[in-house]
Amino acid sequence: MREKRTIIDVVWWVLLIAWSMAILFPLLWVFYQSLRSNPSFFQDVWALPESLNWMNYKNAWIKYGIGNAMLNTLYYVGVSLVLGTFLTTINAYALTRIQFKGRKLMWALIMLSLFLPGINALIPQYVLMRELHLTNSLTGLILLDSLGENVFFLMLLGGFMRSLPKELEESGFLDGASIFQVFMRIIFPLSIPGIVTVAIFKFLGLYNNFLGPFIYLSDQSKYTIGVSMYAANQMMQYTSDWVTMFAGVMIAMVPSIIMFMFFQRWIMEGATLGAVKG
Amino acid sequence: MNRLSRAKRSPASGLWKDGLKNAKMQRNLFLLLALTPAFGGYLLFTLYPNMLSVYYSLLNWNGISEPEFVGLSNFVTLFQDKYVWRALLNNLFYMATVPIAVISISLLLGYLLANKGYKGTSFFKVLFFFPNVLSTIVIALLWTFIYDGSFGLLNDFLRLLGVPIGNFYWLGEARTALAAIVPPYVWGGVGLYVIIFMNAMTTIPKSLYESAILEGARHMTILFRITIPLIMPIVRISALFLILGTLKGFEKQLILTNGGPAGATDVVGLYIFNLAFGTENHNYGYASAVGMLLFVILVTAKLLMDKYMPDRSVEY
Repeated sequence: MREKRTIIDVVWWVLLIAWSMAILFPLLWVFYQSLRSNPSFFQDVWALPESLNWMNYKNAWIKYGIGNAMLNTLYYVGVSLVLGTFLTTINAYALTRIQFKGRKLMWALIMLSLFLPGINALIPQYVLMRELHLTNSLTGLILLDSLGENVFFLMLLGGFMRSLPKELEESGFLDGASIFQVFMRIIFPLSIPGIVTVAIFKFLGLYNNFLGPFIYLSDQSKYTIGVSMYAANQMMQYTSDWVTMFAGVMIAMVPSIIMFMFFQRWIMEGATLGAVKG
Repeated sequence: MNRLSRAKRSPASGLWKDGLKNAKMQRNLFLLLALTPAFGGYLLFTLYPNMLSVYYSLLNWNGISEPEFVGLSNFVTLFQDKYVWRALLNNLFYMATVPIAVISISLLLGYLLANKGYKGTSFFKVLFFFPNVLSTIVIALLWTFIYDGSFGLLNDFLRLLGVPIGNFYWLGEARTALAAIVPPYVWGGVGLYVIIFMNAMTTIPKSLYESAILEGARHMTILFRITIPLIMPIVRISALFLILGTLKGFEKQLILTNGGPAGATDVVGLYIFNLAFGTENHNYGYASAVGMLLFVILVTAKLLMDKYMPDRSVEY
């Protein structure tokens, strides 16, 4: 559909550029200010920096305990990701490719979650976690976030597995493999593309999870990166240490940027499956 | 399928039977091990608390002392609590603004990217999507920097343009704070819908556009007469997601203003959250009662939208 470019195209082009600027400008502004010093920032926000203060990043790292928070985040996200993805995969297999009594009931119960707003469960969930002595614990948070069912992920992986030919499993059984071996050696490797999509979205969901860590973690030494940035911002009222705060936010963004750079295609394709922010 | 394979093996010798029994035991063991952790966790951490919240709504309980059963009195309080209604009104405001802004911006940008064949289309696509991978906390902090009175980006800009804005705190003033929370939601949400609408638009046959162009239709006419009606089912689902999302969502409000100033940006979700986990007195029972109200509103909203929003899947 090649058509002549007219004056109105300039307007459309300007619109596209305008939205791009709306996205980029705040990010670049924060990045730029994160390299300045507080006095010069307070004096004139638009001034060019005399020197680049990369020290701000080191200061943020130490002052906000980002190193420790990153380790906590790595533990929480890493273990939940591996455990949760494995459980989702094996559940998708059991619930879509094995016929057993009660399967329909299980699906119905899982589908029920679509109608439940998460917020109603927050309080009883907290009381339950408290009774199980799992509050203020990263491991408790891992259990809470990886033991469960997610309709979207189950359907995504289930749909993927349904497309694998039945003969694959049967030939495995004829060769004397157990069902465990069939799952690990045949189904799991063949489902990798679907598993990767699920894992990427689990990563984004876990890394971006603010409410869970915010509710359950009370010791500063256990904070994840999101909660520690929140606490740092609360302190800002008293310290007014802007440039360090900017550097901290930039650091908190790095894992998301890396993920997006490497998995951009997967993320953008997967997002339209309705699996994100459902 | 399974029945068939079982039937095939049914002329069973003793050995076959043993093998079959073995396989069945193995299968059951597999199911038990595979399903128990996740499904058990789901029952324990999701279904059970959701059912329990109904019971909690009948209690007077601060979470520490002995819970006291008070029947429906929480619901009586609820209907007289003007803070609940103020929060609901704010929810209505966000329900009316955020989805409309997100959908109209995404439709326009998606249309331009899908149909105009400009250079750099894939770059725009990636850039527009980027805020969607950022965490709520990063987006919210970014916008606190933008809205800050003394050093915020917005006021810097206005001063540059010569607007005598002074040190106006956008999030600190009741008359601007409510609306100021809309842009962060839009900023962080548009990219996903640009991609969704673009994908939908590329499935529309090119021939439809060509004949329209031959007849001299303009782009705005094409967008409103051809593109939008054809992708209406997807627009509808997107609207549903966005509306339910703004009804439930409160994280950005929590981080940006925590409902302030003086409750100007409070929403129902945040009200419940602060009743249960806030800095003031906790009231688990009453918070759960407000939660029940939100649940009823959500289900009603969903049913109403299913019923009244145009669901004409267009044939072409």
